Amino acid sequence: MDVYSGWKQPSWMVDSKRMRMTLNLPWLLSALTLLHLTIQAHSLKRGAAQDLKCTTKNMHVWDCTWSASAGVSPGTVKEVCIKDRLNSCHRLESTNIKIAALSPGDHEVTINYLNGFQNKFTLNEKDVSLIPDTPESLNLSADFSTSTLHLRWNDRGSAFPYPSNATWEIKVLQNPSMEPVKLVSFNTTLSGQDIVHHWNWTSDLPLQCAPHSVGIRWYIDHHRFSGYKVWSDWSLLKNISWTPNSETNVFPQDKVILAGSDITFCCVSQTKVLSGQIGRTFCPLIHLYGENVAIRIQNISVSENSGTNVVFTTEDNVYGTVVFAGYPPDVPQKLNCETHDFKEIICSWNPGRPTGLVGPRNTDYTLSESISGKSVAFKRFETLTNESYRLAFQMLPGQEIHNFTLTGRNPLGHAESAIFINITERVVPHVPVSLRVKDINSTVVALSWHLPGNFAKINLLCQVQICKASSEQEVRNATIKGAEGSSYLVAVDKLNPYTLYTFRVRCSTETFWKWSKWSNEKRHLTMEAIPSRGPDTWREWSSDGKNLIIYWKPLPINEANGKILSYNVSCSSNEETQSLSEILDPQHKAEIQLEKNDYIISVVAKNSAGSSPPSKIASMEIPNDDILVEQAVGMGKRIFLSWHPDPNMTCDYVIKWCNSSRSEPCLMDWIKVPSNSTETIIESDQFQPGVRYNFYLYGCTNQGYQLLRSIIGYIEELAPIVAPNFTVEDTSADSILVKWEDIPVEELRGFLRGYLFYFQKGERDTPKTRTFETGHSDIKLKNITDISQKTLRIADLQGKTSYHLVLRAYTHGGLGPEKSMFVVTKENSVGLIIAILIPVAVAVIVGVVTSILCYRKREWIKETFYPDIPNPENCKALQFQKSICEGSSALKTLEMNPCTPNNVEVLESRSIVPKIEDTEIISPVAERPGECSEADPENHVVVSYCPPIIEEEISNPAADEAGGTSQVVYIDVQSMYQPQAKPEEEQGIDPGVVAGYKPQMRLPINSAVEDTTAEDEADKTAGYRPQANVNTWNLVSPDSPRSTDSNSEIVSFGSPCSINSRQFLIPPKDEDSPKSNGGGWSFTNFFQNKPND
Amino acid sequence: MDPQADSSISFLPHLEAKIRQTHNLARLLTKYAEQLLEEYVQQQGDPFGMPGFSPPRLSLAGLSGPSPSHAGLPLSERLRLDAAALGALPALLDAVRRHQAELNPRSPRLQRSLEEAARQARALGAAVETVLAALGSAARGPGPEHSATTALSTANSAASIFSAKVLGLQVCGLYGEWVNRTEGDLSQLVHGGVA
Repeated sequence: MDVYSGWKQPSWMVDSKRMRMTLNLPWLLSALTLLHLTIQAHSLKRGAAQDLKCTTKNMHVWDCTWSASAGVSPGTVKEVCIKDRLNSCHRLESTNIKIAALSPGDHEVTINYLNGFQNKFTLNEKDVSLIPDTPESLNLSADFSTSTLHLRWNDRGSAFPYPSNATWEIKVLQNPSMEPVKLVSFNTTLSGQDIVHHWNWTSDLPLQCAPHSVGIRWYIDHHRFSGYKVWSDWSLLKNISWTPNSETNVFPQDKVILAGSDITFCCVSQTKVLSGQIGRTFCPLIHLYGENVAIRIQNISVSENSGTNVVFTTEDNVYGTVVFAGYPPDVPQKLNCETHDFKEIICSWNPGRPTGLVGPRNTDYTLSESISGKSVAFKRFETLTNESYRLAFQMLPGQEIHNFTLTGRNPLGHAESAIFINITERVVPHVPVSLRVKDINSTVVALSWHLPGNFAKINLLCQVQICKASSEQEVRNATIKGAEGSSYLVAVDKLNPYTLYTFRVRCSTETFWKWSKWSNEKRHLTMEAIPSRGPDTWREWSSDGKNLIIYWKPLPINEANGKILSYNVSCSSNEETQSLSEILDPQHKAEIQLEKNDYIISVVAKNSAGSSPPSKIASMEIPNDDILVEQAVGMGKRIFLSWHPDPNMTCDYVIKWCNSSRSEPCLMDWIKVPSNSTETIIESDQFQPGVRYNFYLYGCTNQGYQLLRSIIGYIEELAPIVAPNFTVEDTSADSILVKWEDIPVEELRGFLRGYLFYFQKGERDTPKTRTFETGHSDIKLKNITDISQKTLRIADLQGKTSYHLVLRAYTHGGLGPEKSMFVVTKENSVGLIIAILIPVAVAVIVGVVTSILCYRKREWIKETFYPDIPNPENCKALQFQKSICEGSSALKTLEMNPCTPNNVEVLESRSIVPKIEDTEIISPVAERPGECSEADPENHVVVSYCPPIIEEEISNPAADEAGGTSQVVYIDVQSMYQPQAKPEEEQGIDPGVVAGYKPQMRLPINSAVEDTTAEDEADKTAGYRPQANVNTWNLVSPDSPRSTDSNSEIVSFGSPCSINSRQFLIPPKDEDSPKSNGGGWSFTNFFQNKPND
Repeated sequence: MDPQADSSISFLPHLEAKIRQTHNLARLLTKYAEQLLEEYVQQQGDPFGMPGFSPPRLSLAGLSGPSPSHAGLPLSERLRLDAAALGALPALLDAVRRHQAELNPRSPRLQRSLEEAARQARALGAAVETVLAALGSAARGPGPEHSATTALSTANSAASIFSAKVLGLQVCGLYGEWVNRTEGDLSQLVHGGVA
């Protein structure tokens, strides 16, 4: 230590000894002695510097010790002298001396030895160590429930100069470890008196889990002491240990701790502990000593109501404890104190964050009032979280100012909240009760109610809520002088007569804090008053002009002021007055027989309170010849009407309207518009779209009403629901004249804006003509916007062509349905003539040319085709001897007797069935006369012109073999006819019924198999059938029009008609012979107009 | 009296009905006891109710569980033991209810169940005693109830909350075991003893 380093040995002492030895001994001995002394002197010098210690326990006495030098026994010390102190030599024989504390500064200290040696030192307080005595603890105790150690000791401050600072250090040891588990230091002040100090320490590990030892030491710091401050020695260890019992083995027991903190549980056991767990979580075991173990729980979570179980399991038992982890009380929030009646103060608050602790560990609240010194405790009850708590504090008479402090406590801590109030400013009256309403007159009522509480010192501010049955609510304020437990009364005025009101009341104080709750509602019907005005009145003359019908409207409830019981109607002129009295209320119309004179009609409404002012209207209108009918269209169920202002109209305007289709007098309703208005919107639920209404605007002057405008209009235009009915007036080869009729107003459903006329080529059974598709190139469209036009001529048409015509009307509401018909234009006669003449001329020319050629080449023809035939008589080979021929009857020549063959058999190698190409002529039906009879003449009326039948019957072996005869019928059809116009709507066409001509694309084969097949197919097709029964033909002249029979709507021309045909077979002689085309030439084939040709 | 030994006893119809009624009550309470135990365990937190958690039985003076050695006893003696146990259980169940009211104040259902269990145990015990009286065998006095209550009160006051939980678990278990035992004994009486 440094304190030993301050000692010095003056060098002069060594020098004096050396000088004395030199004078007395021989030089060798002297030299040896000198060497020895030198060594010894050096030895002394070194030892003094190392061994001298000076300490003090109380700064009053210094205790110095030193060790003797080598060769000098401790008993050789003679004295110790301090130079600057009187009588400062202390005789002693040991190396220890206690001296009174020296003053600050250096002091020379001399130690004299018996052998003559002497050491001198300089001693300073700075080199002295202050080492207080070892402290002695008075007591060490333990609170095992809280794992807290309590240490008590005395500082013995009376032994020290004061004030001095004492620094203490305490160590706690936990068995078996000798390392302190806690080492803490702190300062105290020594005041010159003995003071007992306390120190508490709470162990993380329950004290029951292991023995604990405590030691203490200290050092002192005094401001006048400049030496070293050295810790005292540790005191003797005090031990604390727990005596285990059989009941409890797990610690701590039933502890309440802060959620989120760390805690250690231990189990004191004589047997091996197998596991430790908290809840269902197993934890690693910490072995303490013996079989004791512990588990460490970090950041423990909030427990359930019944706490968190900690369980240790041994081989033969289960030990456990319960820990309650939660929070200290939160600061009470929203603390509010108020009174309802000036008798008690209700304080309410929100507990804030839940503590997680219930039952005995729940928070206890105490409400203290500092001025009165009273307090009231909150009776604990289990509530759900976030529920407000309430406490009632009985008011003291005369105390208005209150200073409340609310404190909440639980095992983990406490929290408080304060509020300073003037209770007169915190008044929430109770709910007003016994609300009553009393009539004063038809517009004023009196409301009364009772309010419990003592409000004698304040004024009440009350609100009366007034609600009409079906309208807005009104709130009126009233300030009332407060009273104690009194009833209060206010008058409510400006009410409407005969109106059902609902009243309710709530109150506060003039120094507003909160409103009370609304009282129960009270319904009340105010008294009746006379109607405020007469009813709206109108009049119409009957259609015969003899009666005047007077209409009036019921008064609205706010003007009727009561229940209208009846009406009085009077008509007065200069000469007479007629009255109709007591017309009961549901009736709003009266009829009076009057002559067409000027009358003033007066209508009065009556209720129980009296009669209304009369409502008057003149019976006659002011004529106006300058009336134009205008059009108007509305939107929705509204229509907008406007007019020019007329300064002559001084009263008002009246607009009446009716359905245009109704008979006169027509009146649906009317409205009155102020005279300064120039427009109005008429709205009625009776309006319907597509219905035409008439609106009449009347202006009111002093002389009466005058009709100003007449308007027809629709609320909304719709498309017509019918098509215009049109007919074909005239048809030519290139034009058609169409005429149509008007659509009735009821079916028009809007203002007619025009017609759309479509036409295109097409026949009834052509699919594409069934509907008109917009944008189709073949469709021609005419938009007729002149709605007065009723006819239309369509020009530039093709002759002998079927056209499909469609007409539709339209309004702004859309297009109406279409009406269509098919019309065929007449044939072009010039073309027909040309078609006849050209072939004839060609045939004549060909014939002439052929004749000329044949004439000129007749010789060649003769030689080629008709060479001279040699006369057989000139043939010698044929010359028979007459004798031979004449003499013998057996030898006869061939007699060329004329004979008539009864049968000719033609032998050919190829098929005997001729090629027949014209399928229109040859029909297989000829083989099935039975089927022909089944043809429906009504549905398939094919009227054709059939020339006389040329029938030629030739024996035909093949036909004979087939068991029948073949007939070939040459039919020449000439379709000379008039175009037929039969209007018919598209929807009426039935393709099954109107099955016109269908060419037979299949050649008949005269075989039984083919006949069967053909017969089957004939059943499937409803096409052309040979007419088996000639009598059923409808032979009509081609020139006759064809519009009489409604069923025979198909105009057919050029169709071949056949009968029970026979095939005319001429077997060709050679291959070059012209083939039979099966029929003759016909105009039908040549000129027939195919569709879309 | 031993009904098995004395086969000459003939049960009156109303006695037979009473036995059957008591048996039905015991059977019903067996179900209720299971529900009570389940609810009790649920309110105590883990590891109560977890598989493998079986704290050793604490000694309740005056009341122990049904012993297998009782099987050799005569039926009437067994019923007397049943009645005695059922007479001791209400006080124990009430003590558990009071403890749970403090520990689980927000679980009124458990408290109601414990209260009803005490009432039902008392009713079943009385019914068994009535049957025993009708059979000519008197039940024992109310001693066990008092001693059991005292024991539990002492245990509750001195023991920790954990021990109280374990005691409550044991009481609820005993309630179920004795009700079940009673049901079995009454069943024997219904099927064998009456005839």
